[in-house]
Amino acid sequence: MRIFQKKDGGIVQLIGKEKMQDWPVELPLVFIEYIRDKQLGTYGDNKVEKEISAYLDEILKDVAIPRLISVLEGDDQDEIILALKRIEELSKKNIEMARPIKPYLENLLKNKNKNITDIAQSISNNFQKAERRKELAKKRSIMRDKENQFLAGKISGEEYAKARKEYLTLKE
Amino acid sequence: MAKKKTDQKWDFKATKTLLQEYLAKGTEKKDINLPDDTIKIDDLNKKETLNRIYKMVDGVIAKILSSGRPTIELPSRSSSNIIWDEDNDLLLLGRQIMEKQFHSLTSVADITRLMRVLEIVDELLVKDIHATKREIFYTDVKLFTDQKNSDKSIEDVASMLYTTRNSTHIVAAPKGTCVGRLRIRDRNDIIDLEGLGSGGWTISPMLDNIEILESDAEFILVIEKDAAMMRLAEARFWRKYPCILLTAQGVGNVAVRMFLKRLSKELNLPVFSLVDSDPYGHYIHSIYLRGSKRLSYESPFLATPNIKLLGVLTRDLDAYNIPNEVRLPMTKVDIKRTKDILNEDFVKQNKEWRDDLNLALKLKIKAEIQAFSTHGFEFLTEKYLPEKLSTGDWI
Repeated sequence: MRIFQKKDGGIVQLIGKEKMQDWPVELPLVFIEYIRDKQLGTYGDNKVEKEISAYLDEILKDVAIPRLISVLEGDDQDEIILALKRIEELSKKNIEMARPIKPYLENLLKNKNKNITDIAQSISNNFQKAERRKELAKKRSIMRDKENQFLAGKISGEEYAKARKEYLTLKE
Repeated sequence: MAKKKTDQKWDFKATKTLLQEYLAKGTEKKDINLPDDTIKIDDLNKKETLNRIYKMVDGVIAKILSSGRPTIELPSRSSSNIIWDEDNDLLLLGRQIMEKQFHSLTSVADITRLMRVLEIVDELLVKDIHATKREIFYTDVKLFTDQKNSDKSIEDVASMLYTTRNSTHIVAAPKGTCVGRLRIRDRNDIIDLEGLGSGGWTISPMLDNIEILESDAEFILVIEKDAAMMRLAEARFWRKYPCILLTAQGVGNVAVRMFLKRLSKELNLPVFSLVDSDPYGHYIHSIYLRGSKRLSYESPFLATPNIKLLGVLTRDLDAYNIPNEVRLPMTKVDIKRTKDILNEDFVKQNKEWRDDLNLALKLKIKAEIQAFSTHGFEFLTEKYLPEKLSTGDWI
């Protein structure tokens, strides 16, 4: 177990990453997601939370991603489908968790197995949606600034209308 | 009459100190070095157990071909072959070996049953499934005639393969429960033992599917009785005091003891037992501590030698003003059992334990954990346990 010492003398223990080598391929990601979502906020110790967060990143980098990649680059179609289904679920909940496999999607979209291309397409769509959401949030922030500037008389109505049009086009 | 609630803050200093000692020692000394005159058994995975079966069968075939009179050898489980290892504080099996002959009228029924169980174990392992001892009996009622016979053959097979019974995929029926600051994995499912209500998680006998994932507990408390477990679970004891609670409703079966051993070994936490203040309670504690004589060949995988007897001690009855009306007189059987426990080598070597048992014999009294309810239902969770865990009043 990996031990993390709390300031109050308490401890948090997490399974060692070396034990995860024998796990089903999607399980390290599930574990990372579980600890981040359900446990990390309960320890009541900022230092330990940071250390555990870093450890989870380590698991992601050293175990979860290499194992997923080895499956996605392999020939076992059933295993690829199983891994992709799990990644699809993750991409719906937290797209950042699925980002490591993005570079592999292009190849998977060309796969002859329709099941694989369908799931890969769904994951790809989730990435696009996430990108759009990100862009929209950025434009929304710009729009808010333009509104304030327009109300303060700092920009012309024409300039404001142009920014508004760009924002609405993207929103649609 | 309801008693005034105590608002005292407990620092759990003694328990925290013990935890820090364990952490400082680390886990490097956790592997047990067994004495030369005892047998060593291994906890095996499916493939390794199958390999041992095939090797054993190859040996039988070789004997058939060479002499025509095959035999099998297995460690004797008679009481004369049970050794108390003082260094590791465990009951272990010595090196006496017995031989069973295929061609002897006296052992033919025994060996037929044994080989039938071996065949079933092979099937379970190949199919990667588990069966209970009761199910094994029902696979061939005519041959086994009584479950005692199939149970004996199951233990023979495990000791013959020099492995644990769990490694043969023959398991006990689920019995104990566990609740508290622990997250485990059962195959592909993550189970949060804090989020299962007051009933907790039923300890799976298929422990090869179980893996400890995360815990922020600082100690483990083993409770003899369901009623006491219910009191602690209802109080959500583990929320206030980070711990893992476990009960087996009496003597822990193989799954409970093996799970406790795993928790203790992997998490390296202090372990305490809370049992009735009577000889049966002390016996239950001793089973967790050193293992049972019947399963002495599995002791290294079942016993938790660092478990402390937190209570209820005979001396606690006066210390916590337990009134005479809730103390019970010892029966003749209780007195005999107490004397029997006092005669055990491992009790003779433990002065504090011996003193407490002698005090019980002197006063001729016993008491249940529930006796504390006389001071109010919350007394156990808000005064007795926190105080003992803070002051280090344990054996």
